[in-house]
This record gives sequence, C-alpha cells and structure tokens, in this order.
Amino acid sequence: MADDVGRIRIRVPSSIKAGDVVRVRALVIHPMERIERDAQGKIVQKAYRYINQVTVTYLGRTILTLDTTQSVSENPSFTFAFRATDPGPLTITFLDTTGGKYAGLADIKLA
Amino acid sequence: MARRQARGRALQGLDTTDFGRFRTYAYGDARPEVPVASVTVPDGPPGDAAKGRALFVSRARGPCTGCHLVPGADVWPAGNVGPDLSTVGDRGLTDGYLYQLVFDPRPIFPKTVMPPWGATGVLTPGEVRDVVAYLQTLKGPRPAETDPERDPATRRRPVGFGDNLDATNNPGVLLADQAEAEWSTKGPADRACADCHVGPPELAMKGVAARYPRHVASQGRVMSVEDWLTVHGPETTGAAYLAESEANLRMTVLIKMASNGLPVAIDTTSPEGRAALARGRASFERRVGQRNHACADCHTPDGGANHFLGGRMLADVREGLTRHFPTWRTSQSELWDLRKRFQWCMTPLGANMLAADAVEYAELELYLTSFDVGKPMSVPGIRH
Repeated sequence: MADDVGRIRIRVPSSIKAGDVVRVRALVIHPMERIERDAQGKIVQKAYRYINQVTVTYLGRTILTLDTTQSVSENPSFTFAFRATDPGPLTITFLDTTGGKYAGLADIKLA
Repeated sequence: MARRQARGRALQGLDTTDFGRFRTYAYGDARPEVPVASVTVPDGPPGDAAKGRALFVSRARGPCTGCHLVPGADVWPAGNVGPDLSTVGDRGLTDGYLYQLVFDPRPIFPKTVMPPWGATGVLTPGEVRDVVAYLQTLKGPRPAETDPERDPATRRRPVGFGDNLDATNNPGVLLADQAEAEWSTKGPADRACADCHVGPPELAMKGVAARYPRHVASQGRVMSVEDWLTVHGPETTGAAYLAESEANLRMTVLIKMASNGLPVAIDTTSPEGRAALARGRASFERRVGQRNHACADCHTPDGGANHFLGGRMLADVREGLTRHFPTWRTSQSELWDLRKRFQWCMTPLGANMLAADAVEYAELELYLTSFDVGKPMSVPGIRH
C-alpha cells in the first residue's frame, strides 16, 4: 500500500539497564523496487525507489550510518546493537533514492 | 506483482492427481472407507529386495520412510510414527504375515494408522512382495548411528520462529496494515466497515473472533471469520471477500488481531453448536482418501502426534491447532488461513479437497478450536 510507505516499527528490549548492549530491530514499509527489464532485456531507465542509506542517532549523536550496497528485500528490517548509557530518544532515519526521508523514534527507557 | 509471479512458479509441477475414486470429507459422500482385504502371497517369482528398497524410500509412493526407520545414509528424513524396522528381518516373521501387513494391515491391527498400500492400489501385489523381500533382509546388528539427526528418536525437536506478533519478525502482521486502510474505505455500496463498526478495528472488533467459528443463524451453518466475510462483505459494503483471496485473508487477520490475548470462547453448548461439534469430531475421525487416513491418525497422542512424519513434527490436537491461524509459513513465504492448511492436508491423505468455505471444513475447524477454548488467541502465527 502506497499510503503505508515509510511506516516504521522499532523493536527494543522491554527492560534495559544502563550500560547494556541493546539489540534493536527496525522495520520500514518500503517497496524497495528492483530494476526492471523490458522484453528485449534492456534495463528500463527510471528512478527506482530504493532505500540506500540508514542513519541512527542516539541522544542527538549519530551512532550508525549504513549504505545498502547489496539487494535488500521489500519492507526491509535492519538490526544493530548499541550501548544504552542514558535514557533518551533513538532515531532511525531511512533515505531513499527518490528523496524520501522516513524517520522513526524509539524512546529508550532505563530500568 | 512480483509475489504473484513467484506464486505462479511455485504452482508449476504441482500434483494434479485426481483422487475422485476415494472418499472425501464431503457429508454427501456416502462411500465407505477402503474395504479390508485379507490376502495371501500370490504365486509368482520371489520378491526383489533391491526393488523393494527403492519402493520403500520412494517419495512418489509412500514413502515408507515417512514413518519407519531403516538403515542407510540416504534414508532422510525418516519418521517414527511407526516401528523402527532396522532389524525387522531378525524377528522371524513369515512372508505371508509381512505381505498382509504391507498390503492391508487392518486384519492384523484393526486400529492401525498405517495405510492399506495394496488394497488401495498404491503398490501392486508384485511390489508388495518386493518390499517384503527387502524387509526380510534387514538383519542385525544395527549399524552404529553416525548422524543423530538421521534417527528421529535422537533428532532435535523443532524450535519456533520467535515472537509471532512482532512485525519485524513476522511479515504476516504487515498484512493487517493494509486491511486497516480498507476498514474505513467505502466499498462499491458506498459504505465502509467503519460506518457500522464504530471505532478503530482493534476496539470495534475486540473479542469478536474469539467466538468464531460459530453457528450463524441467518446462514443456517457454522462459519469461520473467513466464511462470514464472504457473505457479510457483499451484503454491507459491497466488497467481495472471496474465500482464500488476499482481501479476505488481510481482513481476517485484522479482525482476529483485535482478539489477541483474549481466550477462545466458542459456543459448544447450544443445540446447533453441539450438533456441529459432533459432526466435526466425526470428520476428524473419518477415514478418507487413498491413504485411508483420519486426522486422528496423525494428530492424537494414540496416533502420530509428537512424532516425526519424515522431517515434520506432527502437532497434537490437544494443544489446540487453530488459535494462531492465519499463520505465516516460513517455508512458503505466505500467510495461510486454516482452510488452506486443510486443503494442503488433503494431498498426503490422497483425497480430493473441498472448497475452502465448505461447511465440512467449518465444522472440523469448530471441533479443532474446541481444544483451544480458554487459551489466548495469537494471530498471525508463524510456523514452518
């Protein structure tokens, strides 16, 4: 559904202690269009919509930037780990090739 | 669209055998189960053990190895629903006894779950004799097992696929997102679900699915959520929710998710509910198809439940098999409702399937769901 593109779900563990290494999984609804070929096998030239960069900020500081250099599925999920030192916002931003920018926020709370 | 193309490819080469000769689950099908055949070894040349082994492991026929373990590194995966036959040749059983057992075990073991291979024509008399000749060659001592995964007795039990309600883990959850948009979209009759069912679906539909399948008086039959949508959609919003269509599946997931965590609370006490439950139970125990199997053969503790059928662990009906349906199948990359699961079961039974919204399936679903009463719903599930 086109309406849903950019909808983000972020999963963090339910209980985090200060200093824990936390595994986060983020899923974004995105078509991740693949290159199409015409009947002659030639690549159809158009702007393919594809997430090519993911940025994660924690407490206002960028802690991760990654480029998708391999093929990644539709509605991809990305997993990473970081050390949670303080409570605060964790923002995950997805940039795609057509200028789309989708951001999701998880509020890190310490137990 | 890519998904549809992939599905089309997956259907290529699918078994289209017509099992019309054999009894189905249809209530109108009054044919008896395969008649019991008492036989003696026919005259003719002695059996060929090598051919017998090939038949024993042939996936196109049995395979016998689905239930029985025999030696050989190529025997994988073997099951343990039936006895381990690794040293059956040492038991001094006569050819006549083994021939009868393979041809039709029912004269010897009336309550067996083993199909009558000869009586239904899966194996010809000559082939049964080959299998018997092979079994007689299986003498001890048992070769030492080098791979614990080969032997179903020592094989690791399958583990799950993690949190089924986590969208980042179970792609099935994402389907509900699409249905949520449809919830408030007006259908051809210029009405939307949300016009009558006020509020977001998780509130408007809360607890509804826990009461399904149920007897719907206006239709005079038991219906699951899926069945009801096929009727209720056209009569209200005008949108078709054809059985097993993606629209039906999506909306079913959305509706069922609104009951997640709530205990299954189907009606099994009203006269209609009781009668339907009894018919569902009769279906569960009805022997159908070329394999002359009943659901009970594989899914009760007296049968194969909690044993391996080939590489698959057979589920136990007492655990409750329905409260996680529709379920994401990791092996198919598809969300399946229970009816598709039933229809898929028809292939190993050697029986022609019924329509997805058949009342026979609905009442069977009701019977299966009766084991889930009081247990929390958890939709969509995730399974192999």
